[in-house]
Amino acid sequence: MSQAADAKDDQTGRFAVPGKPRPLSPHLQVWRWHVTMLASILFRVTIGAVSVGALIVLGWLAALAFGPEAYTGFLTVAASPFGLFIGFGLTVVLFSFILNGARHETNDLGVGLSLKTANTLASLCVWGPVVLAVLFWAALFATGRAVL
Amino acid sequence: MSEPRFKNRVKVSERHGSGEWKIERIALAILVVLGLWVAASAFTLAGSGYDGAMDWFANPLNAVLAGLTLVVFFGYISIAWKVIIEDYIHRAGNKALLLGLVNIVCLLATAAGVFFIVRLALGSAPLPAGLGF
Repeated sequence: MSQAADAKDDQTGRFAVPGKPRPLSPHLQVWRWHVTMLASILFRVTIGAVSVGALIVLGWLAALAFGPEAYTGFLTVAASPFGLFIGFGLTVVLFSFILNGARHETNDLGVGLSLKTANTLASLCVWGPVVLAVLFWAALFATGRAVL
Repeated sequence: MSEPRFKNRVKVSERHGSGEWKIERIALAILVVLGLWVAASAFTLAGSGYDGAMDWFANPLNAVLAGLTLVVFFGYISIAWKVIIEDYIHRAGNKALLLGLVNIVCLLATAAGVFFIVRLALGSAPLPAGLGF
């Protein structure tokens, strides 16, 4: 904490009264981990991951627009073990986005904020994406849409 | 200083921010619904090959929904990144630079995506053809 008392280079705005820095709010290191906190952090991670995912989808659109040859190249990469791994990750991210989005919207309406409901919703958003992605890919393999 | 305004006993934003928040909420609500459609579409398109994908885009409903998803998504994600950047980056210069960068990337990605989708929906010839090479 070298910057703790450095008022000149402070970016936190806690030196509003000179010489009397206000305490920093507690952060990840001091908070007891809780599932609502985990869901919130994972939604931020999802925002980052879904941004990358969108660029991959953009690459898919480009490959399709550049014709059969480019598209075959894209499909070859997508069907490789690495491509399937990325594809699985993308479905986890998609379901995480949907579930966390629904949770966020629910809570923004002022609904589902009781301790019990908030915990349940958060748990759904943490584990739901993985379960849904596994089911999604099980269905893909079962119907022969994806092959290993 | 004017008196703080209240609505349903909740303090209302005095400058700006509530409008952005509202746009973010509306966009996310739309995206949750469209996300389900994206999942269903991904399931349909998986393993359908080039012809299957082209047939899928030939359906105007799919093309319109794809375009809508793209525009709303990049609109939402630019605000989402703005919220994250404003949380962690406090130096004015760096913050403005990052926010500008995010907006440029989002605009370019939207423009490119809409361009591809329109061509696919119209069944245009594979791409280098339309670029004048």
